[in-house]
Amino acid sequence: MIKAVETNGHASNAEHDGGHVARRVRVRILRQDVAGGESYWERFEVPHEPNMNVISVLQKVAAQAKSQDGRAVAPVAWDCSCLEEVCGSCTMLINGRTRMACSALVDKLLDESEEIELRPMSKFPVVRDLVVDRRRLFRSLERVQAWVPVDDSYDHGPGPRISPREQEDAYPLSTCISCGCCLEACPQFTKIEVVRRDGESEADFVKRRKAAFDAGFVGAHAISQSMLFNAHPTGGMIAGERLETLTGQGGIQVCGNAQNCVAVCPKSIPLTRSIARAGRAATVWAIKKLFDR
Amino acid sequence: MSDPAESFLARHQFLIYRLFSLSGLVPVGAFLVVHLLTNASILAGPGTFQSRVDLIHSIGERVLPIVEWAFIFLPMLFHATVGFVIIANGLPNVGSYPYVGNVRYTLQRATGMIAFVFIIGHVIHLHWMGKPLGGGQFDPHAASSSAAVAIQPALASALYAIGVLCAVFHFANGLWTLGITWGLWTSPAAMRRANAVSIVVGVALAAAGLGSLAGLQGLRGQKLDDARAIEANMHEDREARERLLHGGDRATSAVRPAVGAPVADSRGG
Ligand code: SF4
Ligand code: SF4
Ligand code: FES
Repeated sequence: MIKAVETNGHASNAEHDGGHVARRVRVRILRQDVAGGESYWERFEVPHEPNMNVISVLQKVAAQAKSQDGRAVAPVAWDCSCLEEVCGSCTMLINGRTRMACSALVDKLLDESEEIELRPMSKFPVVRDLVVDRRRLFRSLERVQAWVPVDDSYDHGPGPRISPREQEDAYPLSTCISCGCCLEACPQFTKIEVVRRDGESEADFVKRRKAAFDAGFVGAHAISQSMLFNAHPTGGMIAGERLETLTGQGGIQVCGNAQNCVAVCPKSIPLTRSIARAGRAATVWAIKKLFDR
Repeated sequence: MSDPAESFLARHQFLIYRLFSLSGLVPVGAFLVVHLLTNASILAGPGTFQSRVDLIHSIGERVLPIVEWAFIFLPMLFHATVGFVIIANGLPNVGSYPYVGNVRYTLQRATGMIAFVFIIGHVIHLHWMGKPLGGGQFDPHAASSSAAVAIQPALASALYAIGVLCAVFHFANGLWTLGITWGLWTSPAAMRRANAVSIVVGVALAAAGLGSLAGLQGLRGQKLDDARAIEANMHEDREARERLLHGGDRATSAVRPAVGAPVADSRGG
């Protein structure tokens, strides 16, 4: 359902074509000019087209570079790449909920409300407008070594066989697109923004930021990736190291079982199953460590 | 982060959070279950409740406080302290994400805080430790009647109903999340089954808790007098047994006032 702009006194920007009022899409965007700067709302209005998504709205907003009240403004910045929900770069808060902008259809959004509200993710530092710095998300993947550790050029022969059942179990977890929706919606994952101090060297700053990230919650995506790679015959060779991270500061214990992560994951990854499995593995690991000392 | 206390917590975060989770089940949760079921015995009559209370007190007035502190108060304080740290570090967002799990996450925190305040009030109100503060109204020798008199005012019973329901929700919901935390139920189907069990546990405990409050409400007028008579008789029986066991050295202990007279404010027997 598409709603036409009401024809009240000053709705003069509704264009007339062929005798009927052309539909307009109204968006309200929370903007921010620089990292650490003040944020402010700005309204835009773009012509409606069939099958629009939020990215196509943003493209029009950037092209016209004019706010609803006609002022020339700097084009809104945002991230996107694949436009088919596989790259994970276009996450933002759309009508208050975290989701991928490229798969958010405008007509459906206009069913919910007359105006579309766009905000940058709230758990990551804003770089500019809707662009955020999701470094911590990737740092989490490093913390749990979310990879299969074969890093040489020797021929190790064919790898171990993975049964179809194991593959079926692993496949959904492997579809994670690192979008960060699970982190954005998680009440236990809170923003860590480290600002460079006056006179601090780049190296010191990076080190301090890394330490801050490593003290924070790893997040549902990293827990799930740990379970993916621990279940892999070769990846599982460092299962203990991953569990060491998961039972360290900011590990699995921080999860409060709100299960928002699984509800918002655009790939419907069974995150709570991964979290419970990680909980079980952590239990066993901790007990084993206690007795193996 | 250079704060040694903070880095101790950071280094042992997993252990502390797991002990926190465990303490919610044993001993704190287990105590809640025993407590509510004991209370519910009031529905079988003041005599039954009195005999349950006597059973607990039979471990001895000197040992009881040690048991209380070791298995109830200290674990509870530990659970509450860590709980407040966890609450302080979270950022509830049920407004933006009104999913069932998220509502339960938020309620778990809210009921935990309410139950904590309630329990402090409850201990002051009824436990003998509250006497210096004008509380300590529960008399273990007159279990039903003293509890009834203390809880019957409308405000008290309303607060008790709220406190009990919060504690029960917190325990039952906590049971379910504990199973996820420790990895007892991992698949969505298993979580659903465990959830059904938690709901049954919660409803049963809520019934026991509210049932005992209702039972105390019913103890008025003649019934309250009858309860006092039963309690006085049981008390005399106990005293007589004590005298037989310990010869004459206990003969000087306080004698229960006559039936219907105000309950003496004595705990030592
Ligand atoms: S289940 Fe855990 S990781 Fe997922 S949203 Fe809740 S607290 Fe966050
Ligand atoms: S687990 Fe789901 S929500 Fe989280 S980063 Fe991966 S795809 Fe996104
Ligand atoms: S642009 Fe790649 S997921 Fe949206």
